Amino acid sequence: MTLESGLRVGVLTCVVYLLLVYGMYIALMVLGHVESRRRRRERRLDNPDVLVGSRFAPGVSVIVPAYCESEGLPAAVRSLLDLEYPVFEVIVVNDGSTDDTVPRLVADIGLVASDVSSRSVVETAPIDGYYRSPTDPRLLVVDKRNGGKADALNAGLNHCRYRYVCAVDADMVFARGALTRAMREIVRDPARVVGLTSYFENARDPAKALPDGVAFAEPDTRPLFAFQTFDYLRAFFNNRMGWARLNFMLCAAGAFQIWRRDLVEELGGWSREYTCEDIEFTFRAHRFLRERGRDYRIACLPDCIGVTEGPDSVVKLVSQRERWQRVILETCWANRRMWFNPRYGTVGALGLPYYLLSEIVAPLFEVLAVVTLLTGAATGLIQWWEFAALTLAITFANSALTTGALLMHDFERRTHRLSGVVRLLALMPLEMIVYRPVMAWARIKGTWRFTRGDKAWHKFERNVRTDAA
Amino acid sequence: MDGRSGLVLLCAISGCAWALLGLAVLGGRLRARRRHLTPEVVGGDTEWRVPEEVLDKIGLGDAAANEEETRQILGRSLRSDDPAVRMASITALGRLAGRFEWAIDGLVEVLVRDADEAVKVATELDRLAPRPGPRLPPLLGHPSSTVRFYAVRLLAGYEPLAARHVPAMIEDRSANVRAAALESLRDVASGETLRCALRLLDDPSPVVRAQAVRTATAVAPLPAASFVVPLLVDRSWWVRNAAREGLVAAGRDVADVLAPALESDDPALRAGAALVMQDIGLVDDLVADVDPGQLERILDAGGGRLRRAASERARHGLHLAPDRPHVEPA
Repeated sequence: MTLESGLRVGVLTCVVYLLLVYGMYIALMVLGHVESRRRRRERRLDNPDVLVGSRFAPGVSVIVPAYCESEGLPAAVRSLLDLEYPVFEVIVVNDGSTDDTVPRLVADIGLVASDVSSRSVVETAPIDGYYRSPTDPRLLVVDKRNGGKADALNAGLNHCRYRYVCAVDADMVFARGALTRAMREIVRDPARVVGLTSYFENARDPAKALPDGVAFAEPDTRPLFAFQTFDYLRAFFNNRMGWARLNFMLCAAGAFQIWRRDLVEELGGWSREYTCEDIEFTFRAHRFLRERGRDYRIACLPDCIGVTEGPDSVVKLVSQRERWQRVILETCWANRRMWFNPRYGTVGALGLPYYLLSEIVAPLFEVLAVVTLLTGAATGLIQWWEFAALTLAITFANSALTTGALLMHDFERRTHRLSGVVRLLALMPLEMIVYRPVMAWARIKGTWRFTRGDKAWHKFERNVRTDAA
Repeated sequence: MDGRSGLVLLCAISGCAWALLGLAVLGGRLRARRRHLTPEVVGGDTEWRVPEEVLDKIGLGDAAANEEETRQILGRSLRSDDPAVRMASITALGRLAGRFEWAIDGLVEVLVRDADEAVKVATELDRLAPRPGPRLPPLLGHPSSTVRFYAVRLLAGYEPLAARHVPAMIEDRSANVRAAALESLRDVASGETLRCALRLLDDPSPVVRAQAVRTATAVAPLPAASFVVPLLVDRSWWVRNAAREGLVAAGRDVADVLAPALESDDPALRAGAALVMQDIGLVDDLVADVDPGQLERILDAGGGRLRRAASERARHGLHLAPDRPHVEPA
């Protein structure tokens, strides 16, 4: 094969791949709009206050696993205790932090050492002690030895008292109505909805992005945060809403996932064998429920329930995203018998192939695209204008997908001012040129680490809060 | 079409798509501005102009203008195959129930007919109290335990009705209904409540035993305490936990009832009693006591974690029960 024919094959393969992937994205965006519209209409029918004041509101145990989270944890816990929901508890699980996570939380919230009794549904690393608030019985802090995030969640599970378990990240700050909104969706169909996730925003300092638990501050339009916002918008409004529509939710996001406790217990809690717990648990839930022929749904809300901390440097971002890539690979590999298997319905027929195309083989095609297009352009086999036109087409397509997600977000809740939205729109084309190569690098790194069997978390340093500086 | 034209077309299509979607975002903003709707209100939870949406969805006109037609259409839509339409119809009934008695009848009918939507219907009926009250007692004899469960729970909002009808439900064959009956009796706190709760403390179902403990300790904390103490070693954690919480809620006075448990041969009972004594603040108070005997007995019974927690509190001068008078550490 000559260089020319090789390049032609390479370019053609990349173009076919792009058409396939973008076709899939567009289909999901359309489905996301349909689902989002349905949810919006349904939700407007309901009076949220009915659930808040109802004796039929199901109780929720919120688990907050925390490892070296001294910066953001007090704000997160305070925002959780401010949630407007009638029956809930907050269980913070310190996973053997090496910093001052517990002393700082104890001092900030005013906790005292105590002993409590718990169940032992799942075995976990030993517990050293407990802290409780003398004034707020809804809060419990479990201080345990390090065992990883899944282990911390399992320790929380052993202390849960309510029918639903809500696992959240320790860097999240929540809107006061977050739990009501989520549980309203579950109460609509409690027999079938076993799990739920919801959209959330990202910011450098979540406590400043949602200072009073009600009004969101303007979006951070510094490029790194704006690009992460685009990622989140597409991931929730286009993808998860579409996945939920076809009932193959691939990942109930770890930052906010609600599950029925009996299901979590039936599944033996969260697995410690994987880099992250959220995707793997979602897949295990699908497999378990489909193998038993149960009718179920894992829902996604098109509603912003809070703000999480976004990495404020490229190094941190790559560390986070390469971990996400690894866990996708680990999960898809572990569940390979579900691939294209009709027994697993849309999860096997659509969900796994989706991940295969959009995440697993993406790094290969990204490398192939860069090598073939640049070599082709450099050797004159591809005209520079053709190279530019293709790049422009992809840039526009990507921006269109992001704008579609932004449109859904806007239908849902106009939290941001027009000027902020205009800035976001203006930054969209840059994402393909500036941000996507970084993401491609993270995915390549994640894939490489997966092949090496690396399952470490590689936690990135938390952003330094300006108040603390 | 050659490759070049294809590329140009691809560029044009994707560029137009982006531009159109961007215009849709901006247009939506400007339209909202013209309608003087603040960003926080549009699409937010504070806004729920329900009627138009409900009526759109179920194909209904002005409900008030044509009551009979509204009733018929809702009757049909409640039997729709689409769960979203059924759910919308329930909400519509809930809203119309503010004006029309037939809407309350409709909700009760759905509660009886469709177990999947029972929680939603019950939530609406609960909100409408006291009007649905007289319709509830007949449901207590319904063959479905789901219907009986919700009827019993809803009756908690009607004291005289609950006092008259609910005590008999503690004999129900369904454990969930028995537990619900106890919960409702706790809410209304009738003269029968304590008797019913004490009777079910040895129910075969842990759900019922746990509820019996909660109800008994809620309505008569101290009189119930001696009956509840043995449940600190129940085979179910849920019952043990309910017993601990119930005894703690009884306050400091429960210490005398618990004291014999500290001398028990059963280490689990001793540990359970020690936890309760910790939670009522007794351990912290005893830290200052000149006779450390009782404190040592509690700490021995509670185990290492309870002892470490107590000494940490003492070290920092903290008290687990802040409403108790603070005692300086010895």
